[in-house]
Amino acid sequence: MILLQSQSKYLLQLLTNRLQNLDKGVELDCQWIEFDDVRFNVQTSVKNSHILLLSLSLPTPPAGALFVGGLPYGAIEAIKAAYGTVVQILDPPKDGFNLTLKLNFSKLSPDEDTRQALLMKVASVREVVLGAPLRVILKHLASRSLAPNMDQLVSIVHRPNESFFLIPQIEKVTVIYPMRFKDSTDTCLATSFLQEFVEARRTASAGLNNAPSCQWSPSAPQELEGIPAKELSANAGFVSFVIFPRHVDSKKLDRTVWNLSTFHAYVSYHVKCSEGFMHTRMRRRVESLIEALDRAKSDQDKTKKAGTKTSFKRLSIKDSRSNSNSRASASWK
Amino acid sequence: MSSSVEKATTMRLYLTCIRNTLEAAMCLQNFPCQEVERHNKPEVEMKTSPELLLNPVMICRNEAEKCLIETSINSLRISLKVKQADELENILAKKFLRFLSMRAEAFQVLRRKPVQGYDISFLISNFHCEEMQKQRLIDFIVQFMEDIDKEINELKMSVNTRGRLVATEFLKQFV
Repeated sequence: MILLQSQSKYLLQLLTNRLQNLDKGVELDCQWIEFDDVRFNVQTSVKNSHILLLSLSLPTPPAGALFVGGLPYGAIEAIKAAYGTVVQILDPPKDGFNLTLKLNFSKLSPDEDTRQALLMKVASVREVVLGAPLRVILKHLASRSLAPNMDQLVSIVHRPNESFFLIPQIEKVTVIYPMRFKDSTDTCLATSFLQEFVEARRTASAGLNNAPSCQWSPSAPQELEGIPAKELSANAGFVSFVIFPRHVDSKKLDRTVWNLSTFHAYVSYHVKCSEGFMHTRMRRRVESLIEALDRAKSDQDKTKKAGTKTSFKRLSIKDSRSNSNSRASASWK
Repeated sequence: MSSSVEKATTMRLYLTCIRNTLEAAMCLQNFPCQEVERHNKPEVEMKTSPELLLNPVMICRNEAEKCLIETSINSLRISLKVKQADELENILAKKFLRFLSMRAEAFQVLRRKPVQGYDISFLISNFHCEEMQKQRLIDFIVQFMEDIDKEINELKMSVNTRGRLVATEFLKQFV
């Protein structure tokens, strides 16, 4: 798996499973966490087996991010647009969560395909909620206009206490990510990965001429002036993409929103994969070196054994016979 | 092309020089401790009596890559400094050598901690020499050095290749 999937696999499986066994009510209250500190909770009860409560907790936003009532800007509208009548937003949400959705399975359409499509959509709820402000801006870009009150620098949360920045303009949107990593190895690997992004775009070997142009710089680009310094401390530099209307066509919009809102997770995932791969290699190398050292030992043993063998040989019957023969022949002479 | 050939030859010369020096230096004999009765310690580590130590030899390939060979009557210490041209190589070398040092038990002749100023050290005592063949032991040290060099190069290449692939796949999503 190279690209991250927008559906939560676990949630999708859970939903499909529920839908198949709708007549069997189960008491379920399960919670799990996915990358970037997004928490899920699913509750069902025996009494109302066709109702499922899905709660979502989002990463804590930094000061400047656009949050309305505990949710990213435009999230409520995005949920309504994506799910229609099947999903109802409960207010207030479950304790400790930002959002609780009430799924009503009895309102699902009888058609198998649309049903499946809706379940997929529910499973990618994090994309719908966290990507909402990004979606609003990119939608306006597609129609070459500016969203009201989002015409300057916009910061959008993507990790706990961290956000990335958007500079919406009529013809393009610049997306800037401050890249932070906790571990120094991660930082170093990520830096070399990020430079490959620039390089890959520049050489454009695989038909990437139409891909968004990509820049990497170790210090904050000047577009980010006025942002508090605390939010601009990035140990792996800054990456910026320039998104044009052609990148947000109607069919590409969902994918672009997802890719842009999980860019950091994508890089970090591959950094970790890389480290895992390195460990496998190093383990193999250690084994081969230990073998080489053992060779030094076993050879010694072999020569010792060989030495003892020769001394036994002299005592064997055949040898003694031949020895006696030669002695006899000698005496004969 | 020519530079890589040159690099390979300087590496070979460097390794040959180390091999010859080790062959000369590795004539160790059993030697009980002079201070404490019934103790037998590697003198190169203790450094208690100067008459038991020989002159250390340093072999350099360039400023970044060197090898220090310290000899005493019953033990020999080899310390290596591995090339680290950029930050990525530095991280990879550190990671790999730490990985090896943590498995020092399995290697017997590997020192748990490198001598100060070096990346990795070996400590060979007369007991190791009795247990293993001298020629093979030297072969092992040389192979070890070659392998470290190779491994770091390959790791670096794999990081770059993966980075390129990851970047291309991501950017393809927008086309």
